[in-house]
Amino acid sequence: MRRRGLATYGLAGLLVGMAFMAGCSEEGGSDTKTGPTPATEETSSRGNDEQAAFDPLGPYEEPITVTQVLGFAPPQDASTPSSTTPETNAYVTKLKDMLNIDLKYLWTVPSDQYDQKFSLSVASGDLPDVMAISQSDFEKFKEDDLLADLTAAYENYASPNLKAFVEKDGGAALQLFTDADGKILGLPNYLDPYSSLQLMWIRTDWLENLQLEVPRTFEELERVAEAFVTGDPDQNNVNDTYGITMNKDLISWGFDARGVLYTMGSYPKAWVKDAQGKLVAGETTPETREALQTLQAWYQKGILDKEFAFKDIDKVVEDVVAGKVGIAFGEWWYPEWPLNLSKDSDPKAEWTAFPLPSYKGVPGKPLIPKANITKVLVANKKMKHPEALVKMANFYDVINSPEYAEENKPANGYVYSWFEPRFYNPTDIADTYKRINQALTTGDASHLTLSDQTLYENALAFREGDASKWGHYTSRVDENGGWGLTEKLKGEPVVYNEFAGTPTPTQIEKGSSLDKLTDETFLKIIVGSAPIEEFDKYAESWRKLGGSEITDEVNDWYATESGK
Amino acid sequence: MKKIKRSKLEFSLHLMLIPGVIVTLIYAYGPMAGIVMAFQRFRPTLGFFESKWIGWDNFRYVFALPDFMQVLWNTLVIALLKIVFGLAVPLLLALLLNEVTKSYFKRLVQTSIFLPFFLAWTVLAGVIFEIFSYSGPINSMLAAFHMEPIMFMGDDGWFRAILVGSDVWKGMGYNMIIFLAAITGINPSLYEAAVVDGAGKWKQMIHITLPGMSQIIILISVLSLGGILNAGFEQILLLYNPTVYGTADVIDTFVYRLGLFDQQYGPAAAVGLFKSVISLLLVGVSYALAYRLSNYRIF
Amino acid sequence: MAYHNSRLRKLFLLGNALLLSAITFLCIVPFIHLLAVSLSSNTAAMAAEVKLWPVGFTLDAYAYLGQKPEFFRSLWVTVQRVVLGTALNMLLVVLCAYPLSKEPRQFRFRTGYVWFFAVTMFFGGGLIPTYIIVKETGLMNSLWALILPGALNVWHLVLLLNFFRNTPKEMEEAGLIDGAGHWRLLWSIYLPVSGPALATVFLFTIVGHWNAWFDGILYMNSPSNYPLQTYLSTLVTSLSKVSITVDDLSQLQNLSDKTLRTAQIFLGALPIMLVYPFLQKHFTKGITIGSVKG
Repeated sequence: MRRRGLATYGLAGLLVGMAFMAGCSEEGGSDTKTGPTPATEETSSRGNDEQAAFDPLGPYEEPITVTQVLGFAPPQDASTPSSTTPETNAYVTKLKDMLNIDLKYLWTVPSDQYDQKFSLSVASGDLPDVMAISQSDFEKFKEDDLLADLTAAYENYASPNLKAFVEKDGGAALQLFTDADGKILGLPNYLDPYSSLQLMWIRTDWLENLQLEVPRTFEELERVAEAFVTGDPDQNNVNDTYGITMNKDLISWGFDARGVLYTMGSYPKAWVKDAQGKLVAGETTPETREALQTLQAWYQKGILDKEFAFKDIDKVVEDVVAGKVGIAFGEWWYPEWPLNLSKDSDPKAEWTAFPLPSYKGVPGKPLIPKANITKVLVANKKMKHPEALVKMANFYDVINSPEYAEENKPANGYVYSWFEPRFYNPTDIADTYKRINQALTTGDASHLTLSDQTLYENALAFREGDASKWGHYTSRVDENGGWGLTEKLKGEPVVYNEFAGTPTPTQIEKGSSLDKLTDETFLKIIVGSAPIEEFDKYAESWRKLGGSEITDEVNDWYATESGK
Repeated sequence: MKKIKRSKLEFSLHLMLIPGVIVTLIYAYGPMAGIVMAFQRFRPTLGFFESKWIGWDNFRYVFALPDFMQVLWNTLVIALLKIVFGLAVPLLLALLLNEVTKSYFKRLVQTSIFLPFFLAWTVLAGVIFEIFSYSGPINSMLAAFHMEPIMFMGDDGWFRAILVGSDVWKGMGYNMIIFLAAITGINPSLYEAAVVDGAGKWKQMIHITLPGMSQIIILISVLSLGGILNAGFEQILLLYNPTVYGTADVIDTFVYRLGLFDQQYGPAAAVGLFKSVISLLLVGVSYALAYRLSNYRIF
Repeated sequence: MAYHNSRLRKLFLLGNALLLSAITFLCIVPFIHLLAVSLSSNTAAMAAEVKLWPVGFTLDAYAYLGQKPEFFRSLWVTVQRVVLGTALNMLLVVLCAYPLSKEPRQFRFRTGYVWFFAVTMFFGGGLIPTYIIVKETGLMNSLWALILPGALNVWHLVLLLNFFRNTPKEMEEAGLIDGAGHWRLLWSIYLPVSGPALATVFLFTIVGHWNAWFDGILYMNSPSNYPLQTYLSTLVTSLSKVSITVDDLSQLQNLSDKTLRTAQIFLGALPIMLVYPFLQKHFTKGITIGSVKG
């Protein structure tokens, strides 16, 4: 009876948390860009007659208060004065200066407690004026009629840049947050769907040690992986290495089975089109069955860590850093973390990215989501000045333009990661990648934006031999690196996760039971505690326990959505 | 000097209780009104007053979830093992420690045994993984004795043993202190008399120490029993993996994965209420038993 | 007749000492490991190379913590809550345990009160209703939010109640005959004699307040009001169940700091580990049975 309920809820609060308020990984970089585009018009406020009535950055005559809540992490940039708090953030004071808006925080908490605290606020009826929420929260708030109509605010006040960011994909994402009457209830922030593209990262120094070629086919992959197990690739005379990383969550966000499964045409926990054009759940397809069989064989051979089923990402990363594994499937950002730590630990370690190998003659097709929405900016219905939301977004964008380059530095107390609303350029990474590479080739750095600068300098430093910049360089600049390869693969065939809606009723009710069944069965098959025939029983159960209903619901959604 | 009148005496007792009663009313009974969530389709935006009343539906929903019975069974088994060992081990330790004469050694042991209590499970889980891993120290020892390595974390039986064992290890200091305090409460003259009667240390323990502690032992047992449906959420959540769901999934982890805690307040409250009622029942029954059998009123 | 198995006895004592030593070792080892990790270089820690001795010795993690004014501020908050909270808790628990330890003969509503308190051990409203009540009573963001809601711990109450009940009735009788009221009895007779029980509850209460971190998150609106453990928990993000986006990548850098996490754990637990031995002697004091002569 000691600390019953609290510990329980405490853990519950560590659920899927989007650290909305954490910044991007570049030192001091921002994600909204203002280059030499017409955006600079906004800074001269009253002049423009057509915009006189609707000034994107017009200050308020009387000060208005806008409330928010914040989940924050310590500022990344070490030059930030240590006494800076969210309330004394230079962005906040500047906002007051420029727009006469008093930004007040109802509460601030560390980002991983944000979800918990936010649910409490919601439950006790204490919502702030401006919020950055998830897609599913958006649906709930919309249903409960808590959101302000942002249509007028957006149309009248949004700066051209803001509109560009929000509608980069032609307005598809924005549509998701517009209600049936055409009222805009939320402004989405989304990413390039290709940012979750699966790549194959390999310890090329091991390949060299064992005199192996880069695997292009699945069979070659198996041979290389086996060699990594038995061939003592790290040349320390101990058989302490294994082939491919895997953690106990087969489908998660890193060091999981996605890359391997996608190569084999298996797409669990996603909805893909079958031969008839209907959506089917990836869990129960014959390809998945085959894939599991292969993984089972791999496990026997020691290609997968014998204890992967008990390890979470934390522990697998330890293996990566310690140099115990040679192949890791994952996304473009691995070099920034944790591969950089692997290099710290062993300077001889070389990690290089390759496309997924081909399977049975067909190139492996990774899964791409239809839309990659990170957060939605909404305003409380009770908010008196909903257009302030839009103005604040404009403000953020403008403050990050070259005009403010001198002022807008972490050393002056500007902590961008603590400020909302913050809209990204969805193609940010790609744009930066192209710009910096152009600058490196031509030597002309004039087109670089504020946030590109640091990365550019790091790239130059790396090219001159500063190995500590390897991580960011390889992820974001190197043409053969993480993003470089992703860009190259953009034309290649992929499989789309067709379902982009919010969870269906049966999914809400039975989804997690089904997930549990899936997780348990798949793992058991792979580690060999259950024979592959178990899969057939599983597929039956899956359908009976709600899978069929969900499939129907998803297809209903698909039918109506694909008409749009 | 005269004895004070009875009614006046009683009044002062009531007076003593007032602050405690006030605090309990506000901060324990106040929130209890929230139990009503268990019977509602609770939407935080609607609050308690507007959310729809759906009677027993939340309960029906939770009980009908596949594997709920299995999970309930797991909870009971794991909790019972933890309670039994969580009492026996500290008791044994208290008794053993009582026999130690050198006080600095006694202090050292006592302090050390209490230390694991301060470690959070987030830390311990990592340590446990390392110790019982396939290539870890335990398996190395087994190998030294020419035994097959055991996949502890993936084996139903072993995993359960690890759950119980590590929990007992972490918490034994807590109960041990209570038992030690109970031992010191025993009248020393009883021991003196026993020595005169020729009783050895063993007999002293059986006939004096244990009986002298019996009430506390019963008390702690009953109170622990009340927590039987909390089989150790945080610990299990951090240690388990899908291959041992069959025996290690307990009510709280089950409910957690179902997202009940953050999305579905109604069913979560229903589970909470269910647990409360069972606890009350168990403790009530034990209370009655203790009273009948040994004339000891726990409260 | 003196007991004659002195050889057996010696053997037992030896075995006992060995067993207890082994257990002691088992209990201390994880801490040694943690200390070693916190004093190691981060790369070594991330690669799980550290066993019982630091690899790449460095005081960086501790230096980092020590430099932050927030650390000391939160320490002060915790000290306040420990002092005030423990005082209040002890006061309430003693004041309530005493009357409830009386027989129904002496105190007619005793059983009613007991069940009043006991029920709260089983039933609770849960997180949201408690949060709302704390908010409505104006405690949000105040130190008292960390103190008042848990001011009466029923588990401790039951414990103390039992100890009081076991105090010999003759002592009370003697006091009553002397014309003492309950206040006097409590103060002059029951308390002095309940050393072990009081020390136990005192220890548990202090530890509880020291280790509490979640209520800090719940009820404090700004990190400047956080108690120590809450502050320490803000230094690092938890990896579990996080979904990754471009935004989050920076978070991962924080995760990499295993040594910082471990140093945090250590510093968080250290003070209380140092206090504990001093409270120990109370567990070994015996009851001084006062004279019952009138």
